[in-house]
Amino acid sequence: MIRLARLLRRRLALRSAALTLLAVALLGIASLTGAILVSESRERGRQYERLEELLNTVERTVQIACFLDDKVLAAEVANGLLSNRIVGHVSVIQGSDVLAQGGPTDDRHAGNRPLERAIMSPFVAAEQVCSIELTPDEQEISRSVMRASLFTGIVLTLQLIAIGIVVVLVVLRLIILPITRVSLRLESLAPESGEKLNTPPGNRDDELGRLVGSVNGMIDHLVTSIHDERTLRLQREVDERRFRSIVENVETGIFELSSEGRMLSANPAFRRLFNLDQALDLDVQDLRFAEFVGEEKERVNTMLVQLVNYGRPCNIELKLETGEYPRWVSVLLNRFEDDRLQGVANDVTERQMAAHAAEHMAITDLLTGLGNRRGLMKRLDQSMRIVQSDPGYSCGLVMLDLDKFKQANDTYGHAIGDRVLQHVAKLLTDLVRQADYVSRLGGDEFVVLLEGTTRREAIARILDRFLQRVNEPIRFDPDIEVSISASLGVAILDVNAQSAEEVLQRADSAMYEAKHAGRNCYRFHPSLG
Amino acid sequence: MKILSVAFLSCLLLAGFARADIAVVVTVDSPLRTVSQNDLINVFMGRYRRLPTGETALPVDLSPLKARFYRALVDKDLAEINSYWARLIFSGQASPPLQMQESDEMLQYIRRNPGALGYLDAAAVPDDVRIVLQLSERQAP
Repeated sequence: MIRLARLLRRRLALRSAALTLLAVALLGIASLTGAILVSESRERGRQYERLEELLNTVERTVQIACFLDDKVLAAEVANGLLSNRIVGHVSVIQGSDVLAQGGPTDDRHAGNRPLERAIMSPFVAAEQVCSIELTPDEQEISRSVMRASLFTGIVLTLQLIAIGIVVVLVVLRLIILPITRVSLRLESLAPESGEKLNTPPGNRDDELGRLVGSVNGMIDHLVTSIHDERTLRLQREVDERRFRSIVENVETGIFELSSEGRMLSANPAFRRLFNLDQALDLDVQDLRFAEFVGEEKERVNTMLVQLVNYGRPCNIELKLETGEYPRWVSVLLNRFEDDRLQGVANDVTERQMAAHAAEHMAITDLLTGLGNRRGLMKRLDQSMRIVQSDPGYSCGLVMLDLDKFKQANDTYGHAIGDRVLQHVAKLLTDLVRQADYVSRLGGDEFVVLLEGTTRREAIARILDRFLQRVNEPIRFDPDIEVSISASLGVAILDVNAQSAEEVLQRADSAMYEAKHAGRNCYRFHPSLG
Repeated sequence: MKILSVAFLSCLLLAGFARADIAVVVTVDSPLRTVSQNDLINVFMGRYRRLPTGETALPVDLSPLKARFYRALVDKDLAEINSYWARLIFSGQASPPLQMQESDEMLQYIRRNPGALGYLDAAAVPDDVRIVLQLSERQAP
């Protein structure tokens, strides 16, 4: 049973055959039932017709028998009727008497209505002399129905079986076999080589032909897709190798972080930048990016939080090593996908150094190596900012102008003038402390900022010593000796100062006072207490 | 005169435009005064053995008039009547009327038997018999 079910499930032909036969059988049963019903009623009708005919045949004799009350003749008629198989029971009734009757009166005929006919006098038209009742034999009706039905049934069954077989054969021939052939061919098909299905001959324009066409179309499509896919994969492999090579060989550090800041990958350049072992496996070692940056750890962590929470790409410059050889690394971080950060790190030490050098150049007087006007203004701005946040802070500002420098310049030439200026610069530098600031504003004008020194006595002591040294003649060559002097003005930068310019202005006016007073001396601005 | 009348009547009948009647007669001695056509049928067709008055019925067929008589009585021809009797011979329950060739012979038989019933052409009925029913012939022969 199970095997049959499995066979039915696996064989379309068997299934369609079974279904067709089932349908045929059901139809057959229905048709047979219908045929039996129809033939029974037809047979019954025919039996009654034959009874009527029998009655017609004997009517005249019955008329006579009844007319004469002739029981012998009536009985003879009844017997004659009963000799027909279809007649079950006969009775000839005259008024309330039974003139003759025959046949069994049991229940066999209960279902059949008797055929009754009034018998008229043979001579007087309107006079009824008796009546006769014929009851058909039920068994005979059944037999006759059976015979007719059996014949109909056999014919019908044979016809239906023939139809079933024809349907199965047609299904097999027209559908199953071509499908099986196509299916077998499809199993052994090598579509990569461009092989295709052949349309079965005769199915070119029908559904099977279209199916084969569709399959071929699909094969075409698939082959094209596979080819494209393969090309794409090769292209991607090449691209990947290219990018890998770039990443491996580039001098920029490239790395990836998890959103928690864990190192996921790093190229060789990155490892060199951050002193990581090239062989270190980051999948095994749990390393945090923030651990590599030394003192910048806090800034890096803040940046990571910003990046992860708000997705803002950020650029940060990290100073990795302090001391003699600082190293600067610029790191650019981007969020990639949801839980990954991509970063690029560049060594910007040289740039930083160059920037620093340029900045230094900008505030340095090339001739003397002191600060220039720009450097001074920057330093004064710094001091002003300090004063604003720390009212106790102050510093002294000394403005200095060489006396008779122009004559020396004119007399001995620019080269000697320059050397005089360098000499003064050295004197000043030697006099002040490291924290103090010495600058040349231009020409023979110098400004000295004395950090934290505001007391008159302290300033005066420094300036006295300076004047003493500057007055000593300077010998450049055995025959060139230059004597110079200087006038100086002092002002104080403290919490009362409105601006750096104002303090400079005060020092300047104090210096002019010194010049008026005969030069080679110093004066304090009146604002000094 | 009688012969003349018969000939005349025959001529009329042959000409087909006149109809004669048939008279059913009994002897004057019979108590029967009249009889219905149905009773007459029953007697002549063997159903009744007795007359309504009680005498045994003795119907007589007169051969020359037989065809006309039965046509008038039950509207049947002689073949049908003969076939009727042929069936009854089998059971023997009833017998056909006595057959006579001559009307005189029939008249004598009637006169002798009070239960006898015969028939004559209505035009030729003698005085010593009584007409109990006159059958009119509906069709020309």
